[in-house]
Amino acid sequence: MSVVTQVERGLGELRLKRAEGTRTSVMTHVAWAPPQWEAAARKTLAGLEELHPSRTILLFPDPKRPDGIDVHVDLKCFTVEGTSHEVCSDVIELRLGGKRTRVPGSIVQPLLITDLPTFCRWRGLPPWGEPELEQLVDVCDRLVVDSSEWRGLPGAYEELAKHFDRIAVSDIAWGRAVGWRGRLAAEWPAIKKMRKLSVTGPKADALLLAGWLRSRLRKEVQLSHRASEQLEAVAVDGEAVPPPRGGPPNPSDLLSAELDQFGRDRIYEAAVKSL
Amino acid sequence: MSSAQSENPLLEGLRLRRSADPCAIVVFGASGDLARRKIFPALYSLALRRLLPERVGIVGVARTEQTTAQWIAEMKQAIKEHARDELRADVWKDLSEGMRYVSTDFADAHGEDVVVEALRDLDEKRGTAGNRLYYLAVPPAAFETIVNELGQRRGTEGWTRLIVEKPFGHDQESAKRLNEILLAHFSESEIFRIDHYLGKETVQNMLALRFANGIFEPIWNRQFIDHVQITVAESMGIGGRAAFYEQAGVIRDVFQNHLLQLVALTAMEPPIDFTADSVRNEKVKVLKSLHTPGPKSVVRGQYGRGFVEGEEVRGYREEDGVATDSTTDTFIAAKLYVDNWRWADTPFYVRAGKRLARRETTIAIQFQRAPHPPFAEIAGDGLRPNVLLIHVQPDEGVSLAIGAKVPGAGMNIRTVHMDFLYGGAFRTGLPEAYERLILDAMLGDATLFTRADEVDEQWALVDSIVAAWKRDRPSFPNYEAGTWGPRAADDLIHRDGRSWRRH
Repeated sequence: MSVVTQVERGLGELRLKRAEGTRTSVMTHVAWAPPQWEAAARKTLAGLEELHPSRTILLFPDPKRPDGIDVHVDLKCFTVEGTSHEVCSDVIELRLGGKRTRVPGSIVQPLLITDLPTFCRWRGLPPWGEPELEQLVDVCDRLVVDSSEWRGLPGAYEELAKHFDRIAVSDIAWGRAVGWRGRLAAEWPAIKKMRKLSVTGPKADALLLAGWLRSRLRKEVQLSHRASEQLEAVAVDGEAVPPPRGGPPNPSDLLSAELDQFGRDRIYEAAVKSL
Repeated sequence: MSSAQSENPLLEGLRLRRSADPCAIVVFGASGDLARRKIFPALYSLALRRLLPERVGIVGVARTEQTTAQWIAEMKQAIKEHARDELRADVWKDLSEGMRYVSTDFADAHGEDVVVEALRDLDEKRGTAGNRLYYLAVPPAAFETIVNELGQRRGTEGWTRLIVEKPFGHDQESAKRLNEILLAHFSESEIFRIDHYLGKETVQNMLALRFANGIFEPIWNRQFIDHVQITVAESMGIGGRAAFYEQAGVIRDVFQNHLLQLVALTAMEPPIDFTADSVRNEKVKVLKSLHTPGPKSVVRGQYGRGFVEGEEVRGYREEDGVATDSTTDTFIAAKLYVDNWRWADTPFYVRAGKRLARRETTIAIQFQRAPHPPFAEIAGDGLRPNVLLIHVQPDEGVSLAIGAKVPGAGMNIRTVHMDFLYGGAFRTGLPEAYERLILDAMLGDATLFTRADEVDEQWALVDSIVAAWKRDRPSFPNYEAGTWGPRAADDLIHRDGRSWRRH
């Protein structure tokens, strides 16, 4: 039985059992999560499903497993607040083994919902130039990455920038710093004369802030970085910038915000290119 | 946006939430029902989502003698009962630290001095920078004194804005007078006349549905639409509002504002942009185009005893505070015409009432029948016209009734609904109308508020209907509670060979 048949049959049976549930999707959400990212991917999705009802296709690639595809389908149903209506979305889990890890495009394409946008969340560092990445870039409308998950920065940004003309790119590290960018923007016009940016936080966040300032102010900005898990402090020429309101956003909210974006983010692209 | 901001390259592409300037919010009527049920729960929800400015203070003004601490405790309880979110201690602590209460009679000029003092204190301690948002949730009798006092004492620093609750007058003349009082001290851009229906997501979605979807606008006219039905039905009675309701009736309580605004949004031309004046210019054109309905095109009613949701309920004349021979209307149905090129000869059947069979606000666009369905003879009753149904409340969403073939031999057609359920597609939780409106007023965006000329046109229509009513004495009650209104309302639409939508 083909993967598509298994999926459609499985979902059909589940829908029959939950005849009252309305099916709703606003997108197809493809998540590529190698074994070391599986737990994190599931956790993020758990917080996301209610906000973005979508057909979710979870791809768990493991080249070491025997060649083949294991299919598991589920319906995630939620009661609409204040009503008795139930709304259900499809969740399709595909475990790709052996050579199948190299051909995700052909597996995903027949499962996409026609006419709705397709977002691909790629966990970890994308394998630049490899067929799995190239194929998903070709079938998705938007590639969502989190460059703070990457090693080899800032070099990896150069590889990412090569994809800007092929697919819209979102970076969760970029979204995480939006509050700090707001604070820095509020320093205008004094910030025009800045020379040095000091950041305590993940390396990706620090690099992107520096790249943003370089590209927007059209000048060299020196970066001093102190590693930390969270983006904790930012200073301009030694002067601390007041932190944005509220605590750091959670991963589900960050991904959710990226899934609300459709076009290319030219400001982000310029920041990346200036690194 | 100031020129300094527009020059700032760091703002480009920055997807920051709209944030309001620091300000002090002054709520007149701060111990009233509206404050407890709507205004303070909305302020709390805005605070929780960090949509209030960082530097904000709130002054509650009311006649009730109590201390600030007592009032804060009362508002905390109100938020627990009525807010859509759980009370979070840290958010409430931050918000309540900037709350002050002033007990005064609104007619007492000295009371205004105390308010001014509290505002100065907030400017100093909370950095509210002289910006003022006054919320007038007070009975009409207190309105003039408060507006005059505020106008005479307005500061030179910062901005001043006024949110004015309904009822905005009781006829065209009184509304004109209220506008004169307001405009003597404030400009139109500083006045925010609230109609909370406009803050509802589904009402705003009407604009999105019409103007963001290319498929609807070409057929949104007399050529393709047979008629429009708008229903604003409540199953509740008048609660404790007898004094107000006896004076107002459904025509002033709902028809004059919510219902006519829904007509305007349904019938308006596309605005050139989504700025306050562009949208309101188009709405006012519709209101000006409304043909005054003759007596035969308006039905009024009043409920008698009956059963609502299985419970026996009293008739209107038996409600506390209502005269036993009251002729106040609790139901209205009317056939309206928008006399313009788009809508000529297309009736808008509207109805609103208390103690109807269920709570429901809907706009139903009924399209013309298919001109020559080849299976008309065999399809029988199943072949109904398409209806686009906009559910404003409850079950917010849109559904389209289409004819579909019943599986099997033959060509049986049955009407099925394609549903878009708002809460299903966007599971972010719909904000309360008051949240959106208070935030917009803080931001100075008047798009979802009614302008003086809109109010004027709405009253002009109501006055003409009420004038005709003065000539006769109705035989009330004329409908049972828990039904869909008087039989005459059915006759009104049956005369045209149509019927109210089935519920």
